[in-house]
Order: sequence, then structure tokens, then C-alpha cells
Amino acid sequence: MNAVLLNSLVAAPFVVALLVMLVGRRDQGSGVGLGVVGSLAVLGWSVAAVLEDRSVDEVWIASMDVHWHLVLDGISAPMILLTTLVTFCCQVALVRHAPDCGGRADLAALLLLIESGVIGAFLAADMVLFFLFFEVALIPMWFVINAWGDPHDPAGRRYAANRFLVFTVLGSALMIVGFVLVRFESGTFDITQVSGASATAAALVGIGLAVKTPLWPVHIWLPDAHAKAPTVGSVILAALLLKLGTYGFIRFWLPLVDPDSAILPVFAALATVGIVYGALACLAQTELKRLIAYSSVGHMGFVVLAVASYTTIGVQAAIYASVAHGLITGLLFFAAGAIKDRYGTGDLHELKALYGAVPRLAGVLAFASVASLGLPGLAGFWGEMLAIRAALFPHEALPQETFVVLSVIAAFGVILTSAYFLRMMRITLQGPTLSEPKADLHALEWLAWSPLLILTVLLGVAPGLLLKPVADAMAGVLR
Amino acid sequence: MKWVTLLLLLLPFTTAAVTLYAGHRNEGAVKGLAVGGSLLTLGLAFVVAVPQLGDAAPETSVFTKTDALEPVISLATHVDQLSAVMILLASIVSFLVQLYSVGYLHDDPRYPSYATLVSIFTGSMLTVVMADDLWMLLVGWELMGVCSYFLISHHWELAEARAGAVKAFLMTRTADLGLLFAILLIGDRTGSYRITDAVVSAADFELPALLLVVAVIGKSAQFPLHSWLPDAMPGPTPISALIHAATMVAAGVFLVARMYPVFDADSLTLLAVVASITMLVSAFYALVTNDLKRVLAWSTVSQLAYMFAALAVGAWSAAVLHLLAHGAFKALLFLGAGSVVHAVGGRTSMTAMGGLREKLPDTFTTMTVGFGALAGVIPLVGFFSKDAIIHAGLDEVRHHEVIDEQAAWLVLIAMLVTAALTVAYSLRAWLRVFFGPVDPDLEVHESPATMRVPLYLLAVPTVLGGLVFVDPSQVLGERGEESLFHGSMAIAMTALVAVVAALVLYVWWSNDGADPWAPPVEELQPPEDLVYDVVLVRPLHALARAVVIHDREVVDSYANGAGASARGLGWLLRLAQNGSVQQYLMVVVIGAAAIAVAAGVLT
Repeated sequence: MNAVLLNSLVAAPFVVALLVMLVGRRDQGSGVGLGVVGSLAVLGWSVAAVLEDRSVDEVWIASMDVHWHLVLDGISAPMILLTTLVTFCCQVALVRHAPDCGGRADLAALLLLIESGVIGAFLAADMVLFFLFFEVALIPMWFVINAWGDPHDPAGRRYAANRFLVFTVLGSALMIVGFVLVRFESGTFDITQVSGASATAAALVGIGLAVKTPLWPVHIWLPDAHAKAPTVGSVILAALLLKLGTYGFIRFWLPLVDPDSAILPVFAALATVGIVYGALACLAQTELKRLIAYSSVGHMGFVVLAVASYTTIGVQAAIYASVAHGLITGLLFFAAGAIKDRYGTGDLHELKALYGAVPRLAGVLAFASVASLGLPGLAGFWGEMLAIRAALFPHEALPQETFVVLSVIAAFGVILTSAYFLRMMRITLQGPTLSEPKADLHALEWLAWSPLLILTVLLGVAPGLLLKPVADAMAGVLR
Repeated sequence: MKWVTLLLLLLPFTTAAVTLYAGHRNEGAVKGLAVGGSLLTLGLAFVVAVPQLGDAAPETSVFTKTDALEPVISLATHVDQLSAVMILLASIVSFLVQLYSVGYLHDDPRYPSYATLVSIFTGSMLTVVMADDLWMLLVGWELMGVCSYFLISHHWELAEARAGAVKAFLMTRTADLGLLFAILLIGDRTGSYRITDAVVSAADFELPALLLVVAVIGKSAQFPLHSWLPDAMPGPTPISALIHAATMVAAGVFLVARMYPVFDADSLTLLAVVASITMLVSAFYALVTNDLKRVLAWSTVSQLAYMFAALAVGAWSAAVLHLLAHGAFKALLFLGAGSVVHAVGGRTSMTAMGGLREKLPDTFTTMTVGFGALAGVIPLVGFFSKDAIIHAGLDEVRHHEVIDEQAAWLVLIAMLVTAALTVAYSLRAWLRVFFGPVDPDLEVHESPATMRVPLYLLAVPTVLGGLVFVDPSQVLGERGEESLFHGSMAIAMTALVAVVAALVLYVWWSNDGADPWAPPVEELQPPEDLVYDVVLVRPLHALARAVVIHDREVVDSYANGAGASARGLGWLLRLAQNGSVQQYLMVVVIGAAAIAVAAGVLT
């Protein structure tokens, strides 16, 4: 019974996607409607599956010893729930916002296809399975950016989509080479059976995941992809696809690395540079979606810094920051998309005093901004605070002073983050002259966004909700 | 009682949610909700706080905790005498401010969001003063900061409001890193994040205590982070009274008082030096500032420094009582200033005022009491609290039990000079607002009752608060001394007040009744701001622009394949030959991280 529950969690979005596409041929509207209902069902299904909390392990490709090994534990469960929730929110958002080029049922179907891949990757405990599901999630995203991206810039969106695909596939290639090395060394693709790997294998897997997360300096595919994608595409990219990288670091990288080697401090340093670099890049951005995109570089830096501390608290911080980033950045992209829909531009200097022009929408953007800058009492705080704490007190085999320095630099990154969000709010939300007032938030927008709003507050005041399950699932992750 | 405490914590946040929801649907209902909610909070505050005054045993409650972390994070409160008086101060002032705001913002379209933020602020302040868990304290601490940011920029169409809000938030948040790291270190060294555990622990608190001093320097606007508070004055005046005078900025003093056993001689010496510089510098600014609200803001900075100085010389109860006294009379002064500003059509510069005593009789009476208390006129409350602090300073010079002798002397001299300056600037502001020639074109009218009633209510503790000093243990329990009233000191201080007042009046009179300290320019800007701008803000923005260009041109080059190595090398060569400062700075950041790693890995 458990096997059915888990297997169908992967299969269900795929089936719904096909149905949406079929129905969408006749009538786009009913296709999207089906997408909403279907993704809600998947959300319900994922809650049921999480409550069961079991795993599936069957031989899949016997000749290569690849197992269909799915694990739903305290580490994957938050990511699964985030995935099904954000996908549902995106489906609801599509009901009202028909893309100019049409085909929104197809877009809805592609998002569901991505969901299927992402769920599979979050559940996989077999390295080959993780790789395959990862690719399943990537390819549809190329279509999403390429076909539904920025309507004003067809060349730019094609460039962004191609670069996204080239980079992430390159990352995957390095990762799979690393996985094959691990297979030679320890005789299995099953990560739960692996304890340790050579430095080369760990480095290859790490670099592959670094591209996907992304980590400085291989982040450069990200700003274009996020800025050119349609709103729902940006939301899925930021909230879910980046998390494949961070989750991969926790599940498939930590068991490979040797805490005595230099690889952890190096990754921690890259992450810290990314925090400062991303924040500085944001400080000089003039476009709203690019700013939010760069902010992800900084936030992912905190996640990797936490992971690199090689502690239970680090993993808790990484999961917390990943989920919080998914909720908050999803909300930011939704708000930025709503502003672009209304004003046709995301240029900070062309948007004026939105507090006066569209007060509720501006209020949501302000809320998401203060959440993203890590205000205590909202979800973003605990992940970053715990990341700093993890870096301040890392695993005993790691160079302590190095990590102390990195944690202090990271903490100053928090101040830079505050600075660029306040700058953005000062330019676009406040000011003496108003942009033309437009229709404020629609009921469907409230519906699509409210789960994210509510969870951002809830995870801000009740950190135990997410810390406990992760702590319980830590066996086997660290040596 | 435990659940009443929790209810008191949740009520302001609930009020905020309901107020926000009601929003523009019904203007009258919003006002009722805001005032009613804060009245209910005030009632609960009395129920929770009053039994804890005097000799009562502190009440600690743990509501929930997460054991997934070591040390655990808990939702826990600790209500002792200090919390109790702070609860009363916060809830009384915020109720009066909500009441006053109904009149002050009667036709403001942004009233619903304003009232919501004031409620959230009240809840945050109560969280800070009741928290036993340090993380819970940090949540309240920073929520206050963000409410302050939004309320300073209430008039976001004004450039100075936008700038002041950003400055306040960034300066305080930078200092808050001190609190963050202090909490992390305390947790690591004591195995607990509970304040009640930390204050009885024998762990080494040298570094955490210094970090806590950094945090309170930011929150309470002490040197060198003092300039954000005057710049926060474009916010609505009731907000200046509540947040930027009576409660939030005083939270820094509260934090030191709360965690007092953690502070050792080093951190108290640092606090003493910071407080001495701050009180002098800001009292000087208060004397030469034209804007009435900025005068009061500088005076707040100076009086907060007084409280820190008291804590630094070991006068715990005098500091706490001065905090309360200041909360009352400074809230009174700000609300009175709001009434004056309201009357003269929204202008805050004292050049727009003068001769208002007959036109604003209620404001004049109450503000006179407030200025008197600030100056330390007998028998108003400020007289007693200031005397107690100066007496403690004198004691410290004689015995130097807490800090060393030089620091004690510095504190004492700074306190005496500041006391004299305080008399001078209070008298000057009072004369400029209420005396002198009247602008004949001015249509002046006294404020509505909702604004005048809070003034009289705040005048009551300002006049009668001195009674507490006869026997502070009635309020503060065993931590309050038997008496903080010293006869000889009272005579000396009254003489000082009289002499300075006579001097000011003489100078004034010999200057033909005009203000002798009117600044040559409209407003003086502290030179530290220029330093921050040149050393920090501009390089950061230049660096940010460099990063964007770098990202587009250089990092892109390796993505674009063929030219990658050549161009990357070219960049390095260019940098070596004629690289700009910004690029060097980025290299320094990357280099610092690289060196940190190399040092750690290779050794």
C-alpha cells in the first residue's frame, strides 16, 4: 500500500499533465481548470504520503544495479510539500493570467511535468534515479522559458533558455560522472549504502550541484533565466528547481565528502562570496525580476554555507532556508509578475510610489521583501540564523577560524540584503509622484498567494515545525 | 496567570490583524478597534504586571519549546519587577498614543496601516520585555525595528522620511548583529538561551557582553550610531513619542538592565565612555537645533546616555527609574510638540512658533511641566531620577567599585556638564515656542480633546513620580534601594539649575530677546554622517556597480566559450595595470575568503 502511495505521488502529476494537455486541445480554460483540480489532488496526496512516511526499494534496471528506491523522510518531506503547494499556487495563478502567446493549458501541463520530475528527484535515494528525475524536470523548463518567456524580447528569452539548459546539463554531466565514480568505489548507486567517496568523486558531484544551486561563480545562467521566464516559470525555477541543487547537496553530497578534506571549506568560502556578491549585484540592479533573481544567489549561499558546516544544525538550517526561500521568493516573483502585468515594465525607476497606486499589491511586495531580508518572526530568519550558527560552530574536523570568519562575512551579507531591499522599496513603492493607479489585487491572486503568505508567518513563529522532522531523519547523512 | 500572560502577548498582534482586515472598509470601526484593542491590552497589562511589583516572586512560564535543537529554543516569559514596570510603561504610552492619534491623524488616508503598525509595535515591545528566551527577545527586538522603519516612512512622499527610515533600519540592524552573535555565544557557553539561566551562569561573558553593548548602541542611538534618531523625526509625532522616545529606544537600556549580571568591568567601561561622549555631543546638538522635534530627539539621545551611564556606575535602580520617568515626560513633550505642530499647520521648525502660551493654554501648561522635568526642576520626577544618577556617579568616583577611576571621573563630569546643557536647551526651546513675538498671520487653534487628555494623563506621573524615589523597593522589590533621595545632592542640583537658568535668561535678555543659539544654517548635520557616506555607502555602491559590470562582461566571457581564457587573463592584466578601486575591493573580498580557507586548510 505504501509503495502505491509513493509511486503514484511521482506518477500522478505526470498523468494529470497528459490529461491537461488533451483537454487543453479542445478548450484551454478547462485544461487549466483541470490543472488546478489535479494539482490540488496531488497536494492532498502528498500530505497523505508524508503522514505515512515510508520508503520503496525495488530493483529497476538489474544489469546496472539501479534501484527504484524512493525515500520519504523528514528531509525530503518538507521539500515534497513545498513542491506540491507551489505547483498548486502556480496553477491557480494561470487561471487568470493568460499568456499573450496563448497555450496556457500547455504551460500548465509543462509545470505539472516539472512537478513530477521534481517530486521524483526529492524522493530518489538512488543516484541514477536522482539524475534521471533531475533531467525530467529540466527539459520542460527550457520550453517554458523559450515559448512563454518575456514577450518583448524573443532573442533574449531564447538565449536565456539555452544558457539555462547548457549550464544545468553540463552540471548534470559532471554529477553523473561523479556518481559513476562512486559506483566503482563502493559498488552501489544507492546513496543510503554509501559511506564516503574519493575526493575526485565528491568534487565532481559538488561542482555539478554547484551549477544547479547555483553557487558563485557558476551562477551566471540564473539571472537571465529567472528574469526572462514567465511569472509562473520564475516561481517554479526559484522555489523548486534551485532546491534540487541544495537538496542534492544534503542527500547526495554530504555522505560522499570527507570532513577532513579541504572540499568543505572551499565550498563554504564560495558560498560566502556568493552571499556578498549576490547582495552587491542586487544593490545596483534596475530591474525588479533581475533583482529578485540575484537575491537567490545570496540566499542559496546561506544554504550551502550551512551544509558545508557538516553538522546536524547545518542540515536543519539548509532545509529551513530552502523551504523559506521557496515560499518567500515565490511570493516575490508572484508580486513582481503582477506588477509587470499591470505596468508592462519591471524597471525600478519607471514604477513610482506603488504604495499609493496599488496599495495592497505594494503591501505584499513590502511584506515579501522584509521576509526575504531575514526579519525575525518570519520564515526567512531561522534558516539564515541557523546557517550563521552552523558556520560559527562547525564540525570539529573543520578549520574553526575559517568558518568563524565566513560566518561573520555572511552576517554582514544580511545587512547588504537589507540595504538592497530597502533601496528597491524606496525607489518603487515610495516617492512623491504616483504611477497611474491600476486594479489592485484580484481574488484569484489572493487565493494563489495566501498559502505562501500564511506559511511565511507560521514558519516564522513556530520553527519547531520544520526543525524536528529534519533532526529525526539525520541518521546516515553525516559520518 | 500563565495564560493571561500569553493572552497579553497575543492581543496586540490580534488587534493588528483585525485592524488591517477592517482597513478601509469602515473608517470608524478601525479607530474603535485600534483604541479598544489597546485599552484591552492596557487592562491585561495591569492584571499581569501589578501583582509583580514590590516583593513578589518573579513568574516564569514556558509555553512551548523545540527540542530539535541543542540548546532548545522556547517560547518562555519571565515577568519580574523590571518586566512589570516596562509592561506598564509600554502599554500605557501606546494606549495614550492610539487615543491621541485618532485626533492627530483624523483625516489621514493611511490611518489603518498606521494603527496596525502601532499595534504590532506594542506587541513586539511587550515581547521584548517579557521574553525569557533570547531568540524570542530578538524577534521582538527586530520587529520593533521594522515597525519603526515603516512608521518613519509613513509620509513616504517626503524625501527626508524615506531617507530617515532607511537610515534608522540599516544602522540599528547592523548593530543588531551584535545581539545575534551575543545570543549564539551565550547559548554555546551556558547551554541555554534562557535569560534566567544566563544571569546566574558563571560562564565567560566577556565577548558576549561587548557584543551586547554594540547592539544597544544601535538600538538606543548612542555614539557613533546616534544620528539616526534625529533623522527619524519625519515620522508622525505620536510615533516619535512612543517609539523614538518612550519605548523602543529605551529597550537598549532595558536589555542592559535585564542582563546586568552578564556585564563585566570591561563592557561597563566601554558603555561608560560611549554614554559620556553621547550625552555631551547630543546635548550640544539639542542646544543649537532649530527644529522642535529634533531638539527633543537629541535630548532623548542624551537622556538615554544618562541611563547607560547610570548602569555603567552600578546604579541599576536609578537607571531603571530614570527610564520610566523619561518615558513619561518625554512622551508628554513629544505629544505636546505634536499639539504645537498641529496648531501651526504641520511645521516643526521653531521659527514658525513663538508666543503660543495664550493660544494653546493646555499644551503650554503640560509642556511646561515636561520641560521642567527634563531640566530637573524640583519637585518634578526628572529632578529625582537625575539626582539619584549623579549621586551614584559621585559615589563611583569615590569608591570605583564597578569601573576604574578615570572612567568614573569622565562619567561624572559628562553628567554634570550635560545637566547644565539640559537646563539650557530645555529653557531655550520653552522660550522659543511659548514666548516672544507672535506671528500675526498664524491661525492657531488648540487641539481636540483626544489629543489634550493624553497630555494631562502623562503630566500626572511627571509631577507625582518623585514619590517613588522615597522608597523604590515598593516598586522594584529587593533590587530597589531603600531611598534614592539625597538631601545635599538635591540642594546642589537645584542651585545648578537655578544658576544655569539665570545665565540663559541673562544671555537671552542681552541678545534683545532673540535666541542666542539659533544655528547659522537651518539644520546641522552631524559630521559622522559624512564619514559613513564616504567610507561606507559610496564605496559599497561603486562596488555594487562594479559587480554588475563584472557579472555581465567578465564572468559571461567564460560562458561564451572560446574567448574565455583570453578575456579572463585580459581582465587580470587590465586590473594589474590600471584597475579601479572597486575591482580591487571585490578582489579583496574574494581574497579574504580564500585566505581564510587557505589558512584553515593548510595549518
